[in-house]
Amino acid sequence: MSKKTMTLNLTEAEMAVLEELCDKKDLSKTVLLRQALRLYQRVEERLEKGDKLFFEDEASKEKAEIMML
Amino acid sequence: MIATAPSDVTPVWLTDRNTNELVDAELWHGIVDRNLADWEAEWIPDLQRRLKLLNQQKVERRFWPQSRHWDWRDKLREIERRLANLSFAIVAQDMTQAMMTIDLTKRARMPGHDGQHLVYIDFLEAAPWNRNDLAEEPARFGGCGLILINAAIQQSILEGFKGRIGLHSLPQANSFYANACGMTDLGQDATYENLRYFELDPDSARSFIEKGKGE
Repeated sequence: MSKKTMTLNLTEAEMAVLEELCDKKDLSKTVLLRQALRLYQRVEERLEKGDKLFFEDEASKEKAEIMML
Repeated sequence: MIATAPSDVTPVWLTDRNTNELVDAELWHGIVDRNLADWEAEWIPDLQRRLKLLNQQKVERRFWPQSRHWDWRDKLREIERRLANLSFAIVAQDMTQAMMTIDLTKRARMPGHDGQHLVYIDFLEAAPWNRNDLAEEPARFGGCGLILINAAIQQSILEGFKGRIGLHSLPQANSFYANACGMTDLGQDATYENLRYFELDPDSARSFIEKGKGE
């Protein structure tokens, strides 16, 4: 599959978070950003269908809705 | 709109169960309309014929193929525009022999790997004539499952996931994933129809490849 290249400008803080996540997940920056795009698309698809996004505490079963604007 | 041509094609080989000889086949990267046509026009009627035989032989329904309700057209329609999902098909002798869809957003559960990304196999199915468990007719081609597992591992490596893969297995396939593929059985998953959940870690993935499985 052919791929396209782009330049991404990040602030120092954004780059620091990206590098921290890459280190934690043992992934390259490209792979991590592709994962982020996949997840963003999936979340958007569900929200468009009228679904809500929640995080649930496994022990207490408490749910917290993530507000998406 | 389902694609009409795969994005890539890799040569693979199946085993003819009658002659034990290798048969040229192709791994298609992306299930396309032609594969769905084979499923609709060839897989479904063949499956129905075998179910009829099982019924005539008074085989209990719990022993019938558990994937018999899968609708590949629906599955493909659901994921066709999603970046997180990919699909594969094996084609030999001008006919689709097996299909698989995968998800790239799931995380590993195995201790020591939990939270790391993996390739999750959503659905994997061989054509009815390539199955050993249907109405006492011997399978025509062997090797479909291993080729598709190999494809999932290769995709995992390509994505930077180190070969990690995971899946929920239908009961009839538990021993294939545990024994033929060397996956670790992490037990029944109460959140997923009580199916057993299996994972392959990077070391086991390397071992799978080194043994030349699914090539």
